[in-house]
Amino acid sequence: MSEELIETIKKEFRSNVFDETVSNNEHYLTVKKEAAVRICDYLYHTLDFPLISIFATDERAKDGCFKIHYIFSCKDDMFIIIKIKVEETSPRFATLTHKIPAANWYEREIQDMFGLVPVGHPDPRRLIHFEDWPAGFYPLRKDFDIRTKPPRVKGEYIYRRVEGEGVYEIPVGPVHAGVIEPGHFRFSVAGEPILNLEIRHFYTHKGVEKLFESLSIDKAVFLAERISGDNSVAHSAAFCQAVEKVAGVDIPPHAKYIRTILLELERIYNHFGDIAGIATDVAYPFGAAHANRLKEQVMQLNEKVTGSRLLRGMNTTGGVRRDIGDKNELISKELATLQNNFRELMELLISSPSVADRIETTGRISNEIAKGLHVVGPAGRASGIDGDTRRDHPYAAYPELEFKVPVRKAGDVNARTLVRADEVYESIMLIQQALSRLPEGDIRTDVNQIPDGYALGYTEAPRGETLYWVHISNGRIERCKVRDPSFCNWLAIEYAVLDNIVPDFPIINKSLSLSYSGNDM
Amino acid sequence: MFEILIKTLKTGTVTTKYPQKPDIAPLGFRGKPELLPEKCNFCGECVKACPPGVIWLDEEKGEKRFTLSCCGCIFCGMCEEVCPCGAIRLTREYELGSKTKDDLLTIIRRRV
Repeated sequence: MSEELIETIKKEFRSNVFDETVSNNEHYLTVKKEAAVRICDYLYHTLDFPLISIFATDERAKDGCFKIHYIFSCKDDMFIIIKIKVEETSPRFATLTHKIPAANWYEREIQDMFGLVPVGHPDPRRLIHFEDWPAGFYPLRKDFDIRTKPPRVKGEYIYRRVEGEGVYEIPVGPVHAGVIEPGHFRFSVAGEPILNLEIRHFYTHKGVEKLFESLSIDKAVFLAERISGDNSVAHSAAFCQAVEKVAGVDIPPHAKYIRTILLELERIYNHFGDIAGIATDVAYPFGAAHANRLKEQVMQLNEKVTGSRLLRGMNTTGGVRRDIGDKNELISKELATLQNNFRELMELLISSPSVADRIETTGRISNEIAKGLHVVGPAGRASGIDGDTRRDHPYAAYPELEFKVPVRKAGDVNARTLVRADEVYESIMLIQQALSRLPEGDIRTDVNQIPDGYALGYTEAPRGETLYWVHISNGRIERCKVRDPSFCNWLAIEYAVLDNIVPDFPIINKSLSLSYSGNDM
Repeated sequence: MFEILIKTLKTGTVTTKYPQKPDIAPLGFRGKPELLPEKCNFCGECVKACPPGVIWLDEEKGEKRFTLSCCGCIFCGMCEEVCPCGAIRLTREYELGSKTKDDLLTIIRRRV
């Protein structure tokens, strides 16, 4: 199947494909720069493969060129990566955003971090750099020293304006009530209804991808674990899987099962937290208190099982660092109680008219918008996108376990809440299956002498598809591209709030469960 | 309304009397690293392994000093994992709040 597909693409674009390499389930096609948009358009619109990331690499030391990679997720657990070369002397490439809206932020990110200009981009403003960042400083270029402190300059950021009689702007943030991270929301309203929302983020950019390049692989696991605090396992597992793929190491089955259990525990406590947040925002404190209580119960279970409430310090390249086999009974018992409690809570929550009134039809994201922006995770599945990395690109012990992927069509806050609730039951069932089939054996295998190479690592985090592309050269990290689910999902909020009233914004925001930290690395 | 009341009564009180009543972390908890000076041989393996770099060795006035700072420690336990002498281990202590960074240092000294 996969070979046929590649042949079809090559036939379609004959002279434009220069080179083809295959490693594991990743097919890399180096194509003519001028043909990239046409080929990506063909993969996306004709073959219906979603574009899941675009990133650049600086390979000037090797062949004087930058490379841009377009990753497509295909059927039969395959990825097609379209590669183009961009010469240093002509640092430009044609934009894909007109054809595939999901390309928007990636291209602007490449513009800021590598100084490669997406020609014809509909919104060529800076994305990550602020107006006080001087021109000509591109942090992910290899000749940019990590200790550089560029001078601050004067500049201005122009927001989109909505003008007319009775139209007002409401600026919210970057400093918010409560201890959350910074982000700016600029609403244009006429009375209560929202006419337009523009979000602006990247207030606390930490240079994580650059930092990866200065760390040894075993230490980098801990960095990955801290990119998005409540998705620690998903991030570290994705990173480890990428490294293991490069090394050609298959981790012991026992470790695969432990990773699966941890990933699902993470999903459960995140979903409880999100449901608690939604209940808070619709002024249903009874539900919030109970959902938070359940979340706390899972976090205490996490602590007993792994020594960390956030399940940290478990993943490592080659497996996991602690066995949890002796905790089998404890986990099963806790899960059974949790399941009953959660069912009771959801029955009360759903049957409450005051909750239903606030969440039904609120913050709708149509299937078309969700598909166009490549909205992932529960938010995408609530808008009818039937995608789940655990099933589509199986990893860890998922191929051996049975589970359903809940999908709903309404795309509103209600659908997102119910998708999460359904996923909690699936997660509990997955853990129970994994515990009952937990294989004997080692928890870790050595990952030494990693050959040069690159690979994708991916997991389905509680927020959705999380992607790592790791390039290892001489035992060190040459490039590590991280794509958190929130990088895809943030833009959806600009659409979700349209025609809703301002007081519903917090609920819509909460129901999308967006990470500032994972987005702004 | 009636169901809410039943649920509330059924759940009862779940909060604890902490801090009046101490809350002891479970076995295996990843808490404050503890040094056992008599076992440490100053080999520096933990210094190399520490991801945030909060363990260091230096010398002053004819004294070898080994310093561990909990200020920046991520409680990953790599130091414990690599130590060949079992001189460092994570404890169940988690109440680490302090007013100065110096309070967060553990130092062991040895005459050269």
